Amino acid sequence: MKLSFPMERTPHPFWIIVQKEVGDHVRSWRFIIMVVLIAMTCLGSLYTALTNFNKGLKTEDLKGAFFFLKLFTLSDGTLPSFVVFINFLGPLLGISLGFDAINSEHNRGTLSRLLAQPLHRDYLLNGKFVAALTVISVLMFSLGFLVMGIGLLRIGIPPTAEEFWRLIFFILVSICYVAFWLNLGIFFSVQFRQPATAALSCIAVWLFFTIFYQLIVDMIAKASAPAITATPQQIINYKEFIGNLMRVIPSQLYSEATTTLLLPSVRSLGPLSMEQVYGTIPSPLPLSQSLLLVWPQLTGLIAATVTCFALSYSIFIRREIRTR
Amino acid sequence: MRLFFLRCRKIPRVLPTLIVAMLFIRSASGTDQGVILYTPFTRISIPPGQSIDYAIDVINNGSTLANVGISIGGIPKGWNYDLKSNGWTIGEVSVLSGDKKSLVLHVDVPLKVNKGIYHFSVVAKGFGALPLTVVVSEQGTFKTELTTKQPNMEGNSNANFTFNVELKNSTGDQQLYSLRAGVLRGWNVAFKAMGRQVTSVQLEPNRTENITVELDPPDVIRAGSYRILILAETTGTSASLELEVVIKGSYAVELTTPTGLLSTSITAGDEKRFEFVLKNGGSATLKKVTMGFNGPINWDVIFDPKTVDNLEPGKTAQVFGTIKADKKAIAGDYAVNMEARTPEVTSKASIRVSVETSMLYGWIGVLIIGAAIGSVYYLFVKFGRR
Repeated sequence: MKLSFPMERTPHPFWIIVQKEVGDHVRSWRFIIMVVLIAMTCLGSLYTALTNFNKGLKTEDLKGAFFFLKLFTLSDGTLPSFVVFINFLGPLLGISLGFDAINSEHNRGTLSRLLAQPLHRDYLLNGKFVAALTVISVLMFSLGFLVMGIGLLRIGIPPTAEEFWRLIFFILVSICYVAFWLNLGIFFSVQFRQPATAALSCIAVWLFFTIFYQLIVDMIAKASAPAITATPQQIINYKEFIGNLMRVIPSQLYSEATTTLLLPSVRSLGPLSMEQVYGTIPSPLPLSQSLLLVWPQLTGLIAATVTCFALSYSIFIRREIRTR
Repeated sequence: MRLFFLRCRKIPRVLPTLIVAMLFIRSASGTDQGVILYTPFTRISIPPGQSIDYAIDVINNGSTLANVGISIGGIPKGWNYDLKSNGWTIGEVSVLSGDKKSLVLHVDVPLKVNKGIYHFSVVAKGFGALPLTVVVSEQGTFKTELTTKQPNMEGNSNANFTFNVELKNSTGDQQLYSLRAGVLRGWNVAFKAMGRQVTSVQLEPNRTENITVELDPPDVIRAGSYRILILAETTGTSASLELEVVIKGSYAVELTTPTGLLSTSITAGDEKRFEFVLKNGGSATLKKVTMGFNGPINWDVIFDPKTVDNLEPGKTAQVFGTIKADKKAIAGDYAVNMEARTPEVTSKASIRVSVETSMLYGWIGVLIIGAAIGSVYYLFVKFGRR
């Protein structure tokens, strides 16, 4: 990475780093491959959603409306929906943008040269994070609006204001989710000197969370399953315990948050007692209530993201960088 | 002499003197010429206003043709009669020997006639007379009658009451009756004759007309009995009839809100005061209207007041209900059914309550995020500017 400082009208060095990083990302093969992969899967899922739209509408009750949100959640089983694809490919995108952020600079020897320039050391890390986040945000928003636009063309029903804001929040949550994996990648890139190690570690974490954690939770669930004679309260406690175990992994938080945002009829994410259900009218929640419902999930995601960043920041700041 | 025997057999014994007198008349006018008058019913009892048709046979027992002049003698004043045969009015009959002719004597007994016994006779000039007796069975009148078989009806305030009234013209003349009703305010009266709504009817003497009186009471009316006077009058005569309508108390109560809005929002575990309006839409006073509710489990509604002791017809009462939501209620809509109960009627109002979750956990989440960002800021401040 080369930096030049014209004397007049120079932008802040931080923004120069961000610009350069964004340029690097956009031109890298790695990113282009990821974008093509994500765009194609998303268009594929949009296609299945559109072909099943009529069927989906007939079987669903029409009083809930929210047709537009179904573009993102509808699936006929052959191809997962948009949300599931983002849940699956989002981590890969985040990791691919973050895993060699620091260590590749270090290995190429550009890090010490870069920091020889008059700029604060944390600008580098922050700049890299902000640049990757910007790229992710732009990608997510364009994907979201692409799906919205094509859907609008195909079904001809404009989204209501409520639907629009739900989609915006959905995209923001998606950005947050990818940002978590980005920060994990940056953390490993600070921690490990070899980019390959960092990448493999990230993939390992991702695989662990997507596959093995599920198995472990299943094992725990089986082992701690209450007896047949258990009271309803014990069963509820057990269900909640398993649910909370699942909520350790970010993808679970993400899927719960997006499900609630995109399906306004979802009123609760945990087990419900008869007392709570009795007397309810099946109706969609207003956006504010949906947000309040998933606020713990969002809090978890944001807090995990920030924690990862804080860890990588503190390690990077205290690191000796002059040696190779 | 045969006539004498006939008479003796037919004429009741109550009038022996008359018979004796007539016997003399007859023998004086020469009964031997062989013409006699005969009718089977010589004493008839009828009410005033009716008419009698006598079938009178003129029998010629003589050997020669007889020309008989027929006249009516001694008919009371005001009575109308005519003597006809084959559609003609007859004054004289010619009867062949051994033959007979039939005549019809039509006598109208007027309406205005005193009770009593009236006599007159059919006279065959030169041959004899046939005495007839009419007993007027009751005092005759000269008036209009308005009657009904059922002057009383019961029903609730939104029913229509239909009375069948009979108007009888017992005067001697044709009358044009105007029909009126003395009703209270808010009542609606319609007179119907021959299926059409009318205000007057024309009646020939001694005719009756069936008149339907439809009474429509006001919708909001106290329970009780109401008397309605109906009048049929002309300048000369009038008749009145009092009808009675008994309004049964109807019970109706309506539970609603002042604005008609039946939804509200509430935070879980919180309470909300909601205003209701109780309306008595019936005609009877409602006693002890009890408020109740039927809602989700662990919800509570406290009414202020719990019961409305007295609610007059058409009046409203204000009731406040404090809805208390369950702490564990999930976000979204719940239905809470409010009920106003009396032993007679109930009214329900379903309130849609949107439950909102408490902002508390939202703020805790904000705090957690704030702490995380704060720690990063701390790192910035501590290490950032070396």
